[in-house]
Amino acid sequence: MSLFADLLGVFLNGLQAGAIYILVAIGLSIILGTLKFVNFAHGALYLVGAYAGLLIANEVSLSNGLLQRYGYDTVGLGWGFLPALVIVPALVFVVGLAMERYLARPFYDRSDLDQILVTFGLAIIVQEAVRVLFGGQSINFRRPGWASGPVALPVVGNFPKWRLYVIAITAVLVLLVFLLVEYTDFGLVVRAGTRDPEMVQLLGIKLTRPYIVMFAIGAALAGVAGVVGAPLENVNPSIGMETLVPAFLVVVIGGVGSIRGAVVGGAAVGMVYAILVGAPLASIPVIGGALSWSAWSQVGIYALAAVVLLLRPEGLFGSEEVS
Amino acid sequence: MARDSESLTRRDVLKTSGAAGAVGLAGLAGCTGGGGGGDSEYPALGNYPVEGDTVTFGFNVPTTGPYSSEGEDELRAYQLAVEHLNNGGGWVDDFGDLSGDGVLDYEVDYVEGDTATDADTARESASRMIERDDVIMFSGGSSSATAIAMQGLAQEERVLFMCCLTHSNDTTGKDCQRYGFREMFNAYMTGQALAPVVTEDYGSDLSFYQLYADYSWGQTQQESMRMFFEEAGWSEVDSVATPLGESDYQSYLSEAASSGADALFLNHYGLDGANSLSQAVEAGIDQDMEIVMPLYNRPMAQGASQAIEGIYGTIAWDSQIDNGPSNTFTEAFGEAYNGRVPSGPAQIAYAQTLQYAAAAERAGTFYPPEVISQLEGYEYDNIGMGAETMRACDHQAQRDIPIVRGLPESEQGDGQFFEVVNVTSRDDVGYACDEGPAADCELGDDGSE
Repeated sequence: MSLFADLLGVFLNGLQAGAIYILVAIGLSIILGTLKFVNFAHGALYLVGAYAGLLIANEVSLSNGLLQRYGYDTVGLGWGFLPALVIVPALVFVVGLAMERYLARPFYDRSDLDQILVTFGLAIIVQEAVRVLFGGQSINFRRPGWASGPVALPVVGNFPKWRLYVIAITAVLVLLVFLLVEYTDFGLVVRAGTRDPEMVQLLGIKLTRPYIVMFAIGAALAGVAGVVGAPLENVNPSIGMETLVPAFLVVVIGGVGSIRGAVVGGAAVGMVYAILVGAPLASIPVIGGALSWSAWSQVGIYALAAVVLLLRPEGLFGSEEVS
Repeated sequence: MARDSESLTRRDVLKTSGAAGAVGLAGLAGCTGGGGGGDSEYPALGNYPVEGDTVTFGFNVPTTGPYSSEGEDELRAYQLAVEHLNNGGGWVDDFGDLSGDGVLDYEVDYVEGDTATDADTARESASRMIERDDVIMFSGGSSSATAIAMQGLAQEERVLFMCCLTHSNDTTGKDCQRYGFREMFNAYMTGQALAPVVTEDYGSDLSFYQLYADYSWGQTQQESMRMFFEEAGWSEVDSVATPLGESDYQSYLSEAASSGADALFLNHYGLDGANSLSQAVEAGIDQDMEIVMPLYNRPMAQGASQAIEGIYGTIAWDSQIDNGPSNTFTEAFGEAYNGRVPSGPAQIAYAQTLQYAAAAERAGTFYPPEVISQLEGYEYDNIGMGAETMRACDHQAQRDIPIVRGLPESEQGDGQFFEVVNVTSRDDVGYACDEGPAADCELGDDGSE
């Protein structure tokens, strides 16, 4: 196969891997940028989105956990994927509203450390609650029938159809959020509030409402990420935490508070991963055997973050603090 | 480290003084039995003698991490084994050595631990079982890395470890131990069993590409597959390591697909295996390449669901294997767990617990060197896999190996996910004590001198 096809394949894989990170990181970045709130429970919202999606879209068989003990061997509504794609974000949006009001708001004026501790605690509680209810086993989240199997792309060849949908869904959502923040009055207030909250309030605008809505939008995006990301792999209680760390790296690379940054950062993380795993670097001969780059794919992501931080401490699209 | 040796000393002193009991210091002169099976001729060793009237087993399995589905099923089987040892039922009624009245008149109790599919966590958890709970035997596995770590600890602490699910060549090869016994076959035997069947079906001159989990099991698995398939006329194009616990294999699979190889070997297990296989089929790789999943089990087949159709692999055991012990186990497991069909890992967990108990009964004591000598070279035909020998030179069971093919989704159900294509006789797999992995095995001493 030609080098061009290889590169295109790596590009698609990178974009797809990055798409989930982008969806999770946008919320994380906006919340951190507008509200200055470090939300370690953001991964838990991904987890909630995945399990809620599973329950709405699929009929699932449980082999342990409290639900099974109480006689629910099979749970799930089996309503299909599209309803899940609509209901789950709405649900997680409400969860986000509650989270902002009762968890985040009391901690806005506290130190980062307090915020990290309380949200990390919440993340662990959510994870363990899911484990108690559903059991620790992995559950197969079925892809929707219309997006299952491979599609033959020109040049690249076979590519999983669902992964293309993931890229498309991410693109649409990112565009919507971008338009909302850049071209609406709501977005203007939020952006102004980020830059200089005191001045905005002096103008007689209450920031509480745009903030809570922004928080909930971020949460809903993590929920959607859970629904679209879960069919890529089996679902288990630790997927929230596994998603959180790369998402934070994306925020660091892209710059806090920037949607553009989250998109570029997410794509960059996905690309680095795909390039390190992919040919022609897959394995190069070194003395005493072959060095496998694939094992270094995780290291590469951190290395990327380190390089960006060295060159641009505020991230690729982050702006320096005004106040 | 300091704390370990301290508590060890304390435990030993307690043991020795307790055992010596009324005979006082005379006990220290060599007559320190007085417990652990109604005998008085053995010195204290490891957690022998057993105090009180219950004997404790330790079950250390992954209930979190990529192999947790296997761990959960093992745990069910361990609990069932204890229930049967104490109250009869299942194989206990048919094992001549067992009475259904506990072991050596001791009631069997057990403690559980979570290895989290991580060698260090497994070792810590096992260490707690030995130090705090005074287990006389422990068992567990799923991930050879954890099994090897636990087996090493068993040797140091002189407490028997009955390996459950561990398929690395190293477990009874370079990392073998006097205090560890393995019923499960290994990657070497999988290669021997699989190569003839697969090459007969797909042709004898194909090229293959391997992905493998980057730790003890995956590495030896990958080596063994290369060795036996190259012997059978296939050639390896490339072989790429993936981290344990990887959830997204798409990038790896793209590389495999563009390598031009005819076949793809996925040396992944548990959740990793379910993910890599279903993602491979999702990416349409099965349209251009033959996929082989060298080691399968039921929970991972369930996770990969429709993707397993027509995919070859080996399994430890399957409920379809129709003979007395197999059927008895399937029935007893189903009765205990709402009609649930047991997996291969569950069968090994159950078998290993009963094998230990039977060996202790035959030995008439829990004194580890005596139990070990009852297991070494033991010949049996009571666990549903035909005639077997627990070989003395490397503590590796010599047994038949079932080769299976995944069923289409429409035929899956009721716990059935495979058709058994062939049960390769133990005469056609295995290796002499000075060959293969066994050549690197040096069992340690049993601590009896």
